[in-house]
Amino acid sequence: MTATIGYASILLALIFALWGIIAPILGARTGQNGFFASTRAAITGQFILVTLASLSLIYALVTTDFSVKYVFFNTTRSTPIYYRITGLWGALEGSLLLWEWILIIFSGLVAWIYKDRHRELMPWVLMIFSIVSAFFLAVIAFASNPFESVFPIPADGRGLNPLLEDANMMTHPPLLYTGFVALTVPYAFAMAALIIGRLDDAWIVTTRRWTLTAWFFLTMGNLVGAYWSYHVLGWGGYWAWDPVENAAFMPWLPATAFLHSVQVQERKQMLKVWNLSLIIIAFSLTIFGTFLTRSGILSSIHAFSSGPVGIIFLAFLAFILLTSFGLLAWRSKQLRSQPELDSLVSRESAFLLNNVVLVSALFTIFLGTIFPLISEAVAGVQVSVGAPYFNSVTVPLFLLLVFLMGVGPMIAWKKASWDNLRRNFLWPTVASFVVALFLFIWLVRDFLPLLGFTLLSFVVFTILFDTTLAVRARQRIAGEGVFSALVTLARRNQRRYGGLIVHLGVVLIFLGIAGSMSYSIEREVTLQIGEGLSIGRYHIQFEGLKRSQQPTHSRVEAAFRVFNEGHEIGVLSPALKFFPTQKSPVGRAVYRSTLIEDLYIILSGFSEVEQNQATLKVLVRPLLAWIWIGGFVIALGTIVAVLPSRRKLAQRA
Amino acid sequence: MLKRNRRFIFGGIIILAALSYLITGSMREAMVYFKTPSELMADEGASKGKALRIGGMVLVGSLEKDLKKLTYRFRITDGVESIPVYFHGVPPDLFSEGKGAVIEGRLGEDGVFQATTIMAKHAEEYSPPKDGEHAATRSFVPDQKERGR
Repeated sequence: MTATIGYASILLALIFALWGIIAPILGARTGQNGFFASTRAAITGQFILVTLASLSLIYALVTTDFSVKYVFFNTTRSTPIYYRITGLWGALEGSLLLWEWILIIFSGLVAWIYKDRHRELMPWVLMIFSIVSAFFLAVIAFASNPFESVFPIPADGRGLNPLLEDANMMTHPPLLYTGFVALTVPYAFAMAALIIGRLDDAWIVTTRRWTLTAWFFLTMGNLVGAYWSYHVLGWGGYWAWDPVENAAFMPWLPATAFLHSVQVQERKQMLKVWNLSLIIIAFSLTIFGTFLTRSGILSSIHAFSSGPVGIIFLAFLAFILLTSFGLLAWRSKQLRSQPELDSLVSRESAFLLNNVVLVSALFTIFLGTIFPLISEAVAGVQVSVGAPYFNSVTVPLFLLLVFLMGVGPMIAWKKASWDNLRRNFLWPTVASFVVALFLFIWLVRDFLPLLGFTLLSFVVFTILFDTTLAVRARQRIAGEGVFSALVTLARRNQRRYGGLIVHLGVVLIFLGIAGSMSYSIEREVTLQIGEGLSIGRYHIQFEGLKRSQQPTHSRVEAAFRVFNEGHEIGVLSPALKFFPTQKSPVGRAVYRSTLIEDLYIILSGFSEVEQNQATLKVLVRPLLAWIWIGGFVIALGTIVAVLPSRRKLAQRA
Repeated sequence: MLKRNRRFIFGGIIILAALSYLITGSMREAMVYFKTPSELMADEGASKGKALRIGGMVLVGSLEKDLKKLTYRFRITDGVESIPVYFHGVPPDLFSEGKGAVIEGRLGEDGVFQATTIMAKHAEEYSPPKDGEHAATRSFVPDQKERGR
């Protein structure tokens, strides 16, 4: 019954979506405003129906209605209610529905927020939403139906992949999907502006905040994914350059580039075509990502299954690229701007270089991701491009990016004078050289890490220095204390200070990556009871095995007493979990995290036959925790940047 | 105007050159060819020292393991040729004689393939064990992800 309601809602919503596409065209042909006005109704209709469909699938999952195939595959009677709900995005069909649901929520928000603004633009914005929505609805209805039934009704379900039974399952996919879908908003505005030919800056100002929102969700989605990989997958790493990780990361790069280059357009009326292209590319990459993930052409832990869905996405991707860039070419005369840089030493050119680096990173990652496909299709040679490729191409690019992160926010617009350069950069440069010297003498001798840490300290010093000067000035002028001066500064220029806080967060993430990439140690051994192993400053002693029965599985835990330079710091017990529905056990690694380094223990195997022995892998990864701390700092910075300013609040009151 | 344009083009060429140097250099080091044991035997000389992935089956009766030292010696075969492999570490759960495996590493001067990673082939779809097949006898982590960062 619920399945019928769900499926019927999808079909009806598809009709609304088609109307949302046709109505603005009819409106333009006949000149009747009624057609334009009805685009809002089309969105509202889709919103209600898709919400109904999603709720009915959730209802079927929660009540374990095994007459629905999707429910049968993704829950069991013993699944806790929490994981029954997350089953909504546990497999292909449900995750497409979730995507569509988030999309239509965003469309509804846009339609509601701008109901009295952008009168000319809005019908076309909503039409773009309806096109994307119609595509997803059609896929759900005809190619990947989550409401398909099974007969006879099975007694119990198959259940989720146990690796997905983790608290982060609640956050990681929805965050990423939200990031992906939110990129539709700037895309829709950009396309609408191209269609009606109103290419002033109105759409840019409107979409800046939406792009920042999308950027924020993408950042968090990727970070939570990395955390999940580290916390759950039990291999001691957080990023493997898996094609699907790349698919989630790639849209982040043009989105980041756009957030910077849009400032050049606002100020200098430059880069109009470039900015539109970045938006189109970012949106296309979200569709490409879905294609990569769902087509099954790449083997990956994330890949659900194969089917016709991949081809359909590829066709849609081709359609989007052709029409978007076609529109862009058609309006190119109106978009002409003077590509004049006053000087190479200026903020414009720092931003331009930042864009070049980000797009280069995108290109190299894209190439590495699809190279195996091209090679097999064209030359018939099977190759794989592994993590070493991605590390060695992205490291120099990201080092350059870190340098620009220090320069960009402080250097003058137009043309930086010697005076300006000396004022802003002399002390930060001196300070970071001092840091480099200290690091070289006591800690770091290798070139790349030394360069990395030095550049990171340079960014921090530029920010500290600039903020200190500004605070001092306020203390002089307004006689404020340090803290209230900081608050006033941030309030007066939220975008700038929010951005600087985000930069600090990015610095912390790079610090964690640099430390854990360059100075990890790992060892694999088999230990008998009483034996131990020393790694770094730690000594780990094997105490014994323990079997226990949990509600959903049985597990074997191995207890290890851990000493840090002779002091006992506790017992860590990694485990192997045995699920009745799974052939092989699932590892549960444990780790002890400090600001200096993480100690990570994986139980790889055990034997109770020839005495009690355990095979384990131990890793020590310096500075890794700063990655997660950086994530929180980025969140804080984004909040500062997007919070409504005081001036705006006053206007509304 | 023309001068400025020329400067942009010049800058663009430099960037492109640097980028393609970066890509080709890294690609050459990191690209791993996939070969079957027969293909490897056909050009053994040229393959020595290169990063390779070998796909095949673990030859029944060839596996010698030392669990204490975590060393594994076995032969991998495609039914025609077989190659001796040495591996130090923990192989994935589904690794055993007669099962499919993909091994990554380099062919040593002595003709023994020095494996750095073993990936067991497993089905993408998760399916429950059949009757009598129980997980409790297995004792290895299921998914050894390749080491990235």
